[in-house]
Amino acid sequence: MVRIMFDVLLVVGLVVSAFLAVYLDETTYAVLSLAVTNVILSVFYFGLDTPFAAVFQLTMGIGTVAVLFLTGQMLAPKTGNVQSLKQSLLGLVVGILLSVPAILAVGHNIPVTNPVGFPLSTALWKLRAIDIIAQGLVILTVSLGITVVLKEKGRRRQK
Amino acid sequence: MEYIILSLTLLAIGIYGLSTKYNLIKLLISVELITIAASMNFVIFASSLSDALGQAFMILAFSVDACITAIAFALVIIIYRELETLDIRELSKLKK
Repeated sequence: MVRIMFDVLLVVGLVVSAFLAVYLDETTYAVLSLAVTNVILSVFYFGLDTPFAAVFQLTMGIGTVAVLFLTGQMLAPKTGNVQSLKQSLLGLVVGILLSVPAILAVGHNIPVTNPVGFPLSTALWKLRAIDIIAQGLVILTVSLGITVVLKEKGRRRQK
Repeated sequence: MEYIILSLTLLAIGIYGLSTKYNLIKLLISVELITIAASMNFVIFASSLSDALGQAFMILAFSVDACITAIAFALVIIIYRELETLDIRELSKLKK
């Protein structure tokens, strides 16, 4: 019973925070809502006995949120059009309503989870082998490409 | 398997954001939600089928997601430098 209640709370929190991340007009609040989504999702993955996924979700999510937050603060226009409390509450209610199908699915029975008993090195190297090196190269290339593009644009602008 | 509906709900929210919002940062948040919904399926199936490969693939999905986000942010910054706006309706003027 406690497990079901915990799962239902996670599901409601996840759906409501995800909806608010899209619904709220103020960028800062939307990004904070996305941060809450990532944290709840990480807890949810721990509940599913998938610790690697939980840790990666948390680290990647918080990194993305940090960049989004800074970008939002730097670039988002300060219009002063703040959503009213009524509109925010409406978003909350719609979020709760959206979570009803998932609650009905989860609330019936405790989901069966099967813990995976192996170290992270096995997940990274034995299950995936060579493609992790290719993945590292892709990330490196992307970061170099972005740096070059941004520098080139900045140089053109200075001219 | 009970959590597939949760993943579908997150996907629906992401698609709603993509189709109704005009701010580039909000669109990025919507894309994030869609990728979260997609990667959630890996974890759900890995957990219910007790197949560790799902978690390993999720790590791959996350790194690809990080690359997508990085490219998207670079594009957002370039667009802001050029047009000084984050409204995608302004971008449609580029067609003319």
